Amino acid sequence: MLKASHDEMFDENKNIKKHWQEIADSLESSGFDELESKQNEIDWFLKENDVTYNVYENLDAKVNRSWSLDPIPFVISSQEWDETAIGLKQRAKLLNLILKDLYSERKLIKENIIPAEVIFAHKGFATEAFDFGSKENFQLYFYAADMARGPNGKMWVVNDRAQAPSGLGYALENRLTMNAISKGLYPETPRKRLFHFFEDFRNLFQNLSSEQESVSVLLTPGPYNETYFEHAFLSSYLNLTLAQGDDLLVKNDALWLKSLGGLKKVQTLLRRVDDRYCDPLELNDSSRLGVSGLLDAARVGNVNLINPIGSAILENIGLNPFMEKACEYLLGEKLILPQIATWWCGQEKALKFVLKNLETLIVKNIDRTVTVEAFFCKKMREEELENLREKIIKNPYQYVAQEEINFSTIPFYADKKIEPRNASIRAFSIKVGDDYSVMNGGLVRVSATKDSLLVSSQKGGTSKDLWILGKDDLEMCILSSFKYSKYVDTSIENLSTLKAENLFWLGRYLARSITTTRFVLQIVKKLASFYRFDMQSTKESQEILHTALTHLTMTYPGFLSLKEHSSEAIMDEILSVIKDTSRPGTLTYTLFMLLNANLNLKDILAMESWKLHDKMKNEWFEFLNSEKKSNIYIAGKLENTLIYLMAYKELVQESIFKEQGLLLYEIGSKIEDTILLLSLCRSLMTLDIDKSMEYDILDSLLHTMESFNAYRAHYKSSLMLENVVEFVVLNRQFPKSIIHICKELIDDFKILPKSKEIVSDYEEPIYKAYKILESMEISKVLRLKEDEVVFFEFDRLLAELSQLYIDCSNEFTKTYFSHNDE
Amino acid sequence: MIYTIYHKTEFRYQSMVTYSHNMARLKPRETGYQKVLDFSLEIDAFPFEKREFLNMFGNVCTHIVIKNSHLSLSVTGRSRVEIFPEIIDAHIANIKANSITYKAAKERLKSFVAADMQAKQFMFDSELIAPATEEMKAYALESFKDERDLFEAANEFMGRIYHDFEFLSGFSDVTTPVSEIFKAKKGVCQDFAQLAISALRGIGLPCKYVSGYIETVPAEGEKKLFGTDASHAWFSLYIPNAGWIEFDPTNNVIPKHQHILLGYGRDYADIAPLKGVVFSSGGSRLSVMVDVREEELQEQSQEQSFFGFKSQTQTQS
Repeated sequence: MLKASHDEMFDENKNIKKHWQEIADSLESSGFDELESKQNEIDWFLKENDVTYNVYENLDAKVNRSWSLDPIPFVISSQEWDETAIGLKQRAKLLNLILKDLYSERKLIKENIIPAEVIFAHKGFATEAFDFGSKENFQLYFYAADMARGPNGKMWVVNDRAQAPSGLGYALENRLTMNAISKGLYPETPRKRLFHFFEDFRNLFQNLSSEQESVSVLLTPGPYNETYFEHAFLSSYLNLTLAQGDDLLVKNDALWLKSLGGLKKVQTLLRRVDDRYCDPLELNDSSRLGVSGLLDAARVGNVNLINPIGSAILENIGLNPFMEKACEYLLGEKLILPQIATWWCGQEKALKFVLKNLETLIVKNIDRTVTVEAFFCKKMREEELENLREKIIKNPYQYVAQEEINFSTIPFYADKKIEPRNASIRAFSIKVGDDYSVMNGGLVRVSATKDSLLVSSQKGGTSKDLWILGKDDLEMCILSSFKYSKYVDTSIENLSTLKAENLFWLGRYLARSITTTRFVLQIVKKLASFYRFDMQSTKESQEILHTALTHLTMTYPGFLSLKEHSSEAIMDEILSVIKDTSRPGTLTYTLFMLLNANLNLKDILAMESWKLHDKMKNEWFEFLNSEKKSNIYIAGKLENTLIYLMAYKELVQESIFKEQGLLLYEIGSKIEDTILLLSLCRSLMTLDIDKSMEYDILDSLLHTMESFNAYRAHYKSSLMLENVVEFVVLNRQFPKSIIHICKELIDDFKILPKSKEIVSDYEEPIYKAYKILESMEISKVLRLKEDEVVFFEFDRLLAELSQLYIDCSNEFTKTYFSHNDE
Repeated sequence: MIYTIYHKTEFRYQSMVTYSHNMARLKPRETGYQKVLDFSLEIDAFPFEKREFLNMFGNVCTHIVIKNSHLSLSVTGRSRVEIFPEIIDAHIANIKANSITYKAAKERLKSFVAADMQAKQFMFDSELIAPATEEMKAYALESFKDERDLFEAANEFMGRIYHDFEFLSGFSDVTTPVSEIFKAKKGVCQDFAQLAISALRGIGLPCKYVSGYIETVPAEGEKKLFGTDASHAWFSLYIPNAGWIEFDPTNNVIPKHQHILLGYGRDYADIAPLKGVVFSSGGSRLSVMVDVREEELQEQSQEQSFFGFKSQTQTQS
């Protein structure tokens, strides 16, 4: 039988424990209404600070859940905490020594302190980190322990977290929020501050990153990770650069942060990516979250990892039965903190015991890096138990069994009631010299329901702040006047290369989406009114437009080899150019590329752009799935999309300044606009065609540029080839003309961080292009020799210009995004 | 006996790769019966950085960073290796003499014997070698009776794989699960090695994957063409009280003077000759060319040996 569990607040006689008295009095005097209003205040603070914990319900649906915090803290007396902290320090030291030994001499295995199988059967053992253990910077710098109060009234260790412990950011946010509400609620209760711990953490980075100019980085899996909030929050609080794997690069045996200004050495990396995902070269090769070569940089000793790759081996309940022995062997001490009685099934005696007493035990896989498996045997049917027995016998090394413990309960506020719930404390320690510093606080997680013993943030549940009662020794510590903001450094020099590249492509794809949509729209509209004027010339002009569409979207062979010219075949090809998801160049394809670039820029674009993006995507999918083929329906959908794209463009241009990342976006969009316009010019204006067709074609061109009215205002005449060419190619006053954009590009390039006195490789083609444009004379290029129907000179110049812009884009990409030459 | 080995691995990429990280494991390792006289590694993309280190299994690994755009990358290892057959013979004799029964081995592996500790890392499933199915274990246990001598049992087991399985290339690749090979009863050397390893680990014995080369001799009267060999794979079993002993189930032999060892690992992933991580939009194609020949022979036929290049896709014989 389980012993009745303790309650944190009440003793066996239902009297309030001494260290809870103040809290209890405060709760008593404020009453439920006040508590409810404080709860609302907490909810508001958390929402306002955008504190989230993402829970994945299934692959597609992500719930960006607000973090929740209970207004009643978990209270521990300073005397008890001091004792616990001594135990935590000992455990951290011990685990560090175990870690170092397993990756160096392995005396623990050779001298039968820890069975070899407990290590080798656990996938957390990184053979790749072989011999790293003796390195000075191979240390368990940061350690978290999950604790709960056991039946003997002491704090017990339930789990160890070593590879990339989470929760510290949430603990900090909880404290800041509690500070805000506790003035009214618990005015009398002094609690120890978290300040010292964070100072220690900052100092650790300072000590480890000794080189000038080097940076410390927090490696995050990205915005989709469940704890992304805390990555952003912590990096900002600890002065670390927040980066994803693609922001980093290994070369010269060192780790570098890529930014538009060049590479910056990363000496220290706080990683929130699990061991196996840190390096696709040597570890899990399907991982996109890590950095190729990271492990080898660590092997050379050029990067400090918090924590080292290989630490996952410590997240191993199979170690529990041997901790006592290891502690005596490595530290010459008795283990201070109690653990749950654990039997490792790899030993025959233990296995026999487990199989015999299975129904009273909890069985767990030792390796949570592969799968989290826990069996509560008490609740299992005989048949299930039999299966479990078989499973254990087949693979005894993989399992432990633990005694089922009733941990203490704690008062929890829910719906104007206070009820007891199970809770566990995550306590954090950081290495300081040869010792560890333990945070005077922690993250308390409360079970989701009253009767549940399972405490897990993934499974729902809520949190509490942990208060260590008492005053700090030093009064000087003021939790710095830190205000968290989601600030992302986008000054040109420091802009991350990943973001810069995405901004550049955002510019290109957005320009391409808009022009493609407009041009297709023109074609669809003209098709709709085709039968209004059933003339041969109309048919021919349409053919020219259709070919232009193939050239513009590069969806070759497309209309160039269309065998049949029935209206159905034409419509099918147009629909394919609009809808095909796998054919490069189609509108859908381009939109996907655009959405992808948008996705990677979530944190620097305005929130509304995100919403717009979602709306556009949903409507586009609806359109893709629809069978309707009528011109009017399609035109309507295209018009809608165009509105979204224009609104999106406006939002992008509004949310960032040019001197920040927008410059990259503008360069991309200008290059793309020019390339597309050159393509349209070649398709539509290099042919000497009948005047009756000319109108149709020039009209489409100007509408695609959304410049029909501008033309009319400027020339006050009907559409004439010479005028249109002058207008869209050479008119310096017209902001959409090729020459105007060209001049702007030349100026934009000068603001870039790698701009030099001499002309760089990416500038050269643009200067050449400018020269060609300056010396172009309309009357000459539009002159026909006898029997010619094509303006060959004009076409040649346009082709040359196109190539120069493509060269410019390639060179630009190489100079700024590849970091090859640094 | 001295062998010269030429092993070229080439990646061809569909689109330009701006930067790549690669791990080459092409240098044969030294053992008591094998000495590396010469070794060179050729990399054909510039500029590059390379760094050599020893991994946990004692294999030489070379981390190669290609620092500029490239469309292909080839890495070629050239080695001269001396094999000492008499030392191998002595080793095999020693293993036979000290081998123990399957039952004794199981008992010993359950207890703590310092000498067995290193071997225990090869007892568990690994990235490419899944745990054995019940059928596979039963298949192995037909040879491994409790009172049977472990060496004898393993030797018989090797022979049974040789007879029961058909050598067929093209059916499988490195990722084909062993259970599938076991069902289909066909595959190549790599499959037979991995299947044996999985089954032996399944019945509680430490077993490692061995990668290397085997000299092929052309039919009588025919000249050996350059580059027509392939890399080879077999397995090594740990016999407590005796040591590691290698078996080649593809050829039903205990490797002696015809086998040249490249390296050991838990499976192919630990010892893949070339692995690369690139950032590129397209895919890549891998081709491998291997040539192994004994030195005296090579001197006679050197003039003819450099025509008839033939590229092979990665299969192992």
